[in-house]
Amino acid sequence: MPLIIKDEYPKKLFREDGKRLDGRDKHELRPIKMEVGVIKNADGSAYLEWGNNKIFAAVYGPRDVHPHHLAKSDRGILRIFYRMATYSVFERKRPAPGRREKEISMVISDCLEPVLFLELYPGTSFEVFIEVIDADGGTRCAGTTVAALALADAGIPMRSLVTSVALGKIDGEIVVDLSGIEDKAGQADLPCAITWFNDQLSLLQFDGDMTLEEMNKCLDLAPDILKRIYEMQLNALKEKYLKIREEVNKSEEIATEGGEQ
Amino acid sequence: MMNVKRVISAIERDYILNNLKKDKRIDGRDLWEYRDFHINVDVVKSAEGSADVTLGDTRIISGLKYEVGEPFPDTPDEGVCTMMAELLPLASPLFEGGPPNEQSIELARVIDRGIRHADCIQTKKLCIRENKAVYILFLDMFVMNYGGNMIDCGGVSCLATLISAHVPEGVFNDENELIWTGKYLNGKHIVNELPFVITFGKIDDIIFMDPNLTEELLSDGSISISVTENKITSIQKSGSATFSIDEIKMLCEKSIEIGKKLRKELDLWQYLIQKA
Repeated sequence: MPLIIKDEYPKKLFREDGKRLDGRDKHELRPIKMEVGVIKNADGSAYLEWGNNKIFAAVYGPRDVHPHHLAKSDRGILRIFYRMATYSVFERKRPAPGRREKEISMVISDCLEPVLFLELYPGTSFEVFIEVIDADGGTRCAGTTVAALALADAGIPMRSLVTSVALGKIDGEIVVDLSGIEDKAGQADLPCAITWFNDQLSLLQFDGDMTLEEMNKCLDLAPDILKRIYEMQLNALKEKYLKIREEVNKSEEIATEGGEQ
Repeated sequence: MMNVKRVISAIERDYILNNLKKDKRIDGRDLWEYRDFHINVDVVKSAEGSADVTLGDTRIISGLKYEVGEPFPDTPDEGVCTMMAELLPLASPLFEGGPPNEQSIELARVIDRGIRHADCIQTKKLCIRENKAVYILFLDMFVMNYGGNMIDCGGVSCLATLISAHVPEGVFNDENELIWTGKYLNGKHIVNELPFVITFGKIDDIIFMDPNLTEELLSDGSISISVTENKITSIQKSGSATFSIDEIKMLCEKSIEIGKKLRKELDLWQYLIQKA
């Protein structure tokens, strides 16, 4: 007998005051919190809270490729491992990686590859592990965003950061950043990611139905929304170095005070 | 990046060993001292209970999910709790992806045995109807950073998860259908006894508790002892180290003493969550 409490979807995804179920406006993002350097053992790491999504990413590399036959003699390879914790979803996920996780790993890998200078690292691999601890819609976008942040934290040369967000249609209206319920009960879902060095989309998927006008509206809307998240990514990266500077200043103060005595 | 390597140089080994002989540790602790525990509960909204526990640099996030299923034929009125641990490759360059390996199975098994034999989980209260429907709890641990001694960290994280749990309460109505009352079973319903598992490492003839990463990689082996208030519930010796009978007796006594201290200091019942 499986789980019995039913995953019920509300009939309407807008409240009477015109706001979405979680109180957001149509073009409003969920609260986002980012931090880098959260996993000590990793070469680079980042943590992202995006609404109820909680995601860790860690980067190891450049390092030896294992299994060896995957290595390329003329360039490095980027391997993404997107995984969800068994308890991150409503119904317990089986521990082994499923088809969905493998597909998302591949999509994110294809999305991030253009910003890396892989040709400079022949015979090695960069491995990015994305671990979703808590999921509530839009984890592939959040995963891409946090993976880019972790790569930057690892000090790996990049052409630019990558930022991702989902747009979609619920109850006939175009909205940004779909939550779990909106994703399941909505009419369309359009995750996209931008590589900032050329301002082009490097991840694009679409499920649902939209007219041509609606699609155009979404695509016109995307850059502004992505820009907002991009600013947060930059701030998260700067934050780490500001903290270090603060510590250095503090220790210098202590040193000079000690000298005066 | 913290320096994680499989092989530790002879110089580092000698330095650590010489200090251990003088009752000193590289991180400034004495031989019978834990690193600091930090506990956060209910960090995962999708889970029916969760805890984020760090012990020094080791960090484990565990979560609880449940299903309603049929009981085992030999225990028709008891719920089931299964444990799983995953050593995520994200946590350390020493970990690789793939199906559970010996190390992760041992981690889950040692904690599971400690909890099972201590009568920690009130399995009879997890029965909805005899022979027909019981709760099956899945307690999954994910290692987020490996800094030595995952067993003790995992043990505390499992207990904190169970205590902070809130599993929907189901009953059978007159038509023999399972319905949800809208109430929740909390930690008080699920947890009875709190067993702590305490791990000691051994290098040459020196025994010390809570090995950190370098000490763990250097150790010949370790011994994990699960204790309740005044009883020992399980022991696991692992690695190639050997322990004398006197040493085991000393460690058992020590474990009970440390267990009592830990029980008081961590005060895990403060993480109980009351949900309507």
